[in-house]
Amino acid sequence: MGEDGPADSAEAGPVRMPDETVRRAQRGDLIALHDLLDAITPYVRRLCGPIALQDAPDAAQETLIVVLRSLGTLREPAALFGWVRVIAVREAVRIARRSSRSVPAELIDLPAPGDPALATDIRDVLNRLSPEHRAVLTLRDLEGLDEQTASAMLGVPTGTVRSRLFRARESFRRAWRSEGGAR
Amino acid sequence: MTWPIGEFDDLRRLRVLHAAMPGTVLAETMLPAAFDEVWSVLGDPEQGFPGLVPDVRSIQITARDGERMRAVVRGRSGLRGSFDLILRPGWCLMQSRFVVFGMAAAPAGDERDGTRFGYLSGVRVPGMRLVSPLLTPVRQRFAATVLRRFEARFTPGGHPGK
Repeated sequence: MGEDGPADSAEAGPVRMPDETVRRAQRGDLIALHDLLDAITPYVRRLCGPIALQDAPDAAQETLIVVLRSLGTLREPAALFGWVRVIAVREAVRIARRSSRSVPAELIDLPAPGDPALATDIRDVLNRLSPEHRAVLTLRDLEGLDEQTASAMLGVPTGTVRSRLFRARESFRRAWRSEGGAR
Repeated sequence: MTWPIGEFDDLRRLRVLHAAMPGTVLAETMLPAAFDEVWSVLGDPEQGFPGLVPDVRSIQITARDGERMRAVVRGRSGLRGSFDLILRPGWCLMQSRFVVFGMAAAPAGDERDGTRFGYLSGVRVPGMRLVSPLLTPVRQRFAATVLRRFEARFTPGGHPGK
């Protein structure tokens, strides 16, 4: 199996964890930590894949370490998945930026929602974006967050994201058509 | 549209538990046997663990619900302990009141036909976060010894404790 290939087990969305299991995991119970990992790992893989690409396994590992080490700071178990999401996106961007392999040859702005290129070759689109842009795209298209919320989560000014999105459609399509025509 | 999903195997999962649990030691190696052969032994605690897993003279499964089990372990030192177990292909965790133990195995994924193997062990006592750094060198040497036992067990012609 490839290091970043699709995996059916990771397709599922967040599953509610019993509060008691989270509390036991916070006390260091190994079996509860196992249950917690079972619940959040598919979600973490789904977030880290499109953002960290070939570094997704490292990003997922670092995310889960931060989550487990910081678990004691989570006051409300119901907030688990939102809290995990913030950590996963931050760690995935950090790991992707650290890797020289992840630096795109050129910065292409984000494709608009519903852009046909997204449906055709998502991997090609992702390879053209910076880690931060991949994170905005992931949060917007996979998580359903609006761009303002995604920008805030990443510490990117909303105006910057909006202007880039406005310019995105044509520049992205030009680049994509150009590459597509050469194939 | 298929979005890429990050791969994450059980050895990485064991590293996560180790990083999050003070008082544990983790060691990894490559076993010279195919995954199916390795797990045909490690997937059967009552037959496979005694003589291989440290201080396990016998283990008896007392309750089972899918991959979750309860077991009574008797050690060479005469101690007897009740453990919770999680057991599924390539993954085993055991926890008693004072001890934790884990194993992860995955096919090497190349022509060597070996099995990547991780071993985690530790104690659960208050204050371990402070004491753990002092004990780490000793426990790492112990973990290396344990790994050699597993390597010998799965080497053709080898045997535990060799």
